[in-house]
Amino acid sequence: MGLSDLVDHMMRRPIRATGQVSEQTEKKEEKEVQVKEGAAFYFDYMRKDKGALGSMVVIVAFLAFGLVEGILQYAGSLFKDTALGWAILPSDPLSSTATTFKSSLQPPSLVNFPANVLGTNFQGQSILSRLMYATPHDAAASLVVVGSAILVGMFLGTASGYFGGWVDEVMMRLTDAFLALPGLVLAITVAVLIGGGFTALLYALTLIWWPTYARFFRAQALTLRNKGYVEAAKLNGTSSLKILVKHIIPNSVDPVIAYATLDMGTVILTIAALAFLGIGVSSGYPEWGAESSAGLQFFPQQWWYAIMPGLLIGIIVVSFTLVGDRLQDLIGGRITY
Amino acid sequence: MSSSDTGNIISVENLAVTYRTVYGTLKALDGIDLSVARGESVSIVGESGCGKSTLGLATVRLLPQNARYAAGRLMLDGNDVAMMSDREVLAMRGTTAFMIFQDPLNTLNPVKRIDVQMLEAIRSRCKHERTAFSETDALKEAVDKLGDIRMPDPDSIIRRYPHQLSGGQIQRIVIAMGLLMRPKLMIADEPTSALDVTVQAQVLKLMRELQREYNMSIIFITHDINVAYGICDRMVVMYAGQVVEEGTSDVVTRKALHPYSQALIQSVPKATKEEGRLTAIAGAPPNMLNPPKGCRFHPRCPYVMEVCRERAPPEVEKDGDAARCFLYGGTAS
Amino acid sequence: MVSNFGFFIARRAINAVVTVVLLLGLVFGLLHILVPTPEAMARIISGNPRANGGVIAATIKANGLDDPIWVQFFNYVVNVFHGNFGMDTFKHVPELQELELYLPITLELVVTGQIIGVVIGLYTGAIAAANRNRAPDYGMKAIYLTTWSAPTFLVGFIFQLVIAYWLGLLPATGVVDPTLPVPHVFTGAPVIDGLLSADWSYCWSAVQHLVLPALTIAVTGFGLVTRLGRATMIDALDRDYVKLAYMKGLSKRTVVWGTAFRNALIPIITLIALLFGFSVAGAVIVEDVFGYYGMGAFSVNAIFNFDYTAILAFTLVTGLAVIGANFVADILYAAADPRVRLT
Repeated sequence: MGLSDLVDHMMRRPIRATGQVSEQTEKKEEKEVQVKEGAAFYFDYMRKDKGALGSMVVIVAFLAFGLVEGILQYAGSLFKDTALGWAILPSDPLSSTATTFKSSLQPPSLVNFPANVLGTNFQGQSILSRLMYATPHDAAASLVVVGSAILVGMFLGTASGYFGGWVDEVMMRLTDAFLALPGLVLAITVAVLIGGGFTALLYALTLIWWPTYARFFRAQALTLRNKGYVEAAKLNGTSSLKILVKHIIPNSVDPVIAYATLDMGTVILTIAALAFLGIGVSSGYPEWGAESSAGLQFFPQQWWYAIMPGLLIGIIVVSFTLVGDRLQDLIGGRITY
Repeated sequence: MSSSDTGNIISVENLAVTYRTVYGTLKALDGIDLSVARGESVSIVGESGCGKSTLGLATVRLLPQNARYAAGRLMLDGNDVAMMSDREVLAMRGTTAFMIFQDPLNTLNPVKRIDVQMLEAIRSRCKHERTAFSETDALKEAVDKLGDIRMPDPDSIIRRYPHQLSGGQIQRIVIAMGLLMRPKLMIADEPTSALDVTVQAQVLKLMRELQREYNMSIIFITHDINVAYGICDRMVVMYAGQVVEEGTSDVVTRKALHPYSQALIQSVPKATKEEGRLTAIAGAPPNMLNPPKGCRFHPRCPYVMEVCRERAPPEVEKDGDAARCFLYGGTAS
Repeated sequence: MVSNFGFFIARRAINAVVTVVLLLGLVFGLLHILVPTPEAMARIISGNPRANGGVIAATIKANGLDDPIWVQFFNYVVNVFHGNFGMDTFKHVPELQELELYLPITLELVVTGQIIGVVIGLYTGAIAAANRNRAPDYGMKAIYLTTWSAPTFLVGFIFQLVIAYWLGLLPATGVVDPTLPVPHVFTGAPVIDGLLSADWSYCWSAVQHLVLPALTIAVTGFGLVTRLGRATMIDALDRDYVKLAYMKGLSKRTVVWGTAFRNALIPIITLIALLFGFSVAGAVIVEDVFGYYGMGAFSVNAIFNFDYTAILAFTLVTGLAVIGANFVADILYAAADPRVRLT
């Protein structure tokens, strides 16, 4: 198996199949392939693909839990009752009073389930609880960043592609310059310059992410503006704005959704990498990347402290990537089912 | 459709080729009988999806990975193609049979110059014939061959890249490449369909002349019955993976037996505008996963009878023309 | 034809320069949007957020911070082209000096990592294409989706933990064994310097320290290449010119590697520039994990110390490097595909 098989692409083993062939054809005759439309199409496919199904479950769990936990934490700060923040968590992730050194830096174990499943940190706090506590941070940030990037990119990119001319030239050069810098590097610069808090992080990341979507929408606008129905609308005297909103944008959205799902994963990776470097988090907040960085001190003896947050990130991002990848395949027509 | 293989370059007996797809097994060819004598030119006519390309590819073992030679025999120059070993296939290709394809834009390697690609062909031939390969001789031979195919200024053309040449030029170069290999059979799969009409005429004329010059057999696959008539002695009409009619070009075009062939001929637009509406063939091409029972053309046939829906018609001969149709008998058995 | 190619290179070079200027404009613009007043800028340059009025005024005067924006930008561009990236706020040495020290180390890491990544990507892409829609194809996809999604620091940690700490096969941190004397500095990159000085033990140590960081970068990035490589290979194998090559009686090997692969490689060249940017970003993290003191570690320290000049210099240099990689990719692409360089 390997490279020689590449070559077998063109050679085939002569197989003498006798009566079996006709039987198979007859059996398949009865099974008509039903193709559904719209959202049902996607969900139907997901049902059949176990990997994608599992990933959807993870994503929904991630976002839902982030939402719930985020509300709890917000409510907790509103009502000055911080205990709300960890009400649904296995243990208190933040307090350093209820700890003893006996429970410090424990390896993952089934003792005290489920708190110690991922081990404990130096202050004896459950790593699992800490990671769960930080879920809203990543969930919210990724949604906000991707959403804002899509919005900004949608307006700028579609307009640029549709109207063309010098506006388009400027936009192309601008996005070129933005895309010349690796996302992480630019994020570091911007975030540090404007202060390094959570909001700064969001601004910085949106600033970095919009050019890709602008390019996307621009490409779609370029293709779509020559379509028959757009010409017809123009002849009818429809205003450009209406054309953009009614015709061009709705037809650009499909591939963007697939890419955006993929992108959520990339954004989460970038947030984690930035947190690893100490950007975008307030100290003490157990954001996943920051936790991993904190674990660096105790590496390699208490290796779980550094590795577990990374694993969690990996699982979530893989789920986004897998679903995004499948969506791209579906939309690109590369697979049918 | 005789199946004697003496003197025939190709002899196909009851060939079936299937493709395995996600939807099931697709029978692309079902019971094909065909033979081509040396020096003869035969055209295979049919609409898209009837299996004519598959037949061409099957002859040179270029079918995709999911295809199977399901039944019958395909004898090329006396050897069963499906049973050949890999080495035999390599030897067969080029020297026994050569195939040219439809889209000139994609038919030559875009990153290599023409002379390099032609020399590849010569080198391969020398290897199989076990003769010495000399680059200068080979280059001269290539340039000469370009002259044979009436290419002006061959010295400069041969140093260009494919994207710098026109479609017609490319197809002629591919023909030249084929000739360099000295094949006994040339299979042309819609080589002129992507060219405009004047260039098409040039290429066809060239092929006709070369065929006589080299006494090469030609199988010309096309959907255009005009072109088929122009270039070939015999015509084979295919539909839904089966041969429905076969005879000399004259007989088939003037006195076609099978309703499908008749419809094909009638659908050719006439020269004048007064002839009325264009006649199209009613219905749609069949689903090859689940072809119609009985005669496969029966859903679209204007003369359909009860028996056509139930049984596959046998082959009937009449005045040097052979067709599979119940109209001419065979209903009893 | 030669002059044609020459024109092409010249056009691309000009393009690159224009993009560089635009990049500078972007960074400059960003800087001035985020730090709007000359006073704020003076605070940054002097490295002291609580500087008094006198120091601020002096800094403004010294750096021309109250000049019109156009003048400042012009000076900025001129400075950069002369290699003047400003004075480091902490070490009070020209940034260029710092860059000269750390940049080659990172470049060595990034280029090595990228080469390994591309090789792995091409190999896995070929296997996937050969076994389309069968087990190895899905297997490859599963692997690269996972490695692509894993955070760089996780991959680094796992390598470090398993190979360096538990198995003890390779050193865990550092660029080179610190007890070895440094040979003559030719380029600043340890492996190359070791080679050029014929100092084999130094070179070998540098190589050993290079393996894990480079592997980490390669592993997190190769997915891109696999994905595209598989697609282009499948596309190339289906083309008529491949069938024609078979018709010429060429062997499987010649057709697949000489014809199909050669054509399949061309679109992958465009990936190189993208991958380079990705690898540089990865290098920042990798250097932190492995204690590999290149540009990445330099920037991490700068972040920690709020050393703005250093961070800006780092950003600029990274941008320049990516533009440079783009330029190289463009040239390679034209060299490989005659349709691009000839009309």
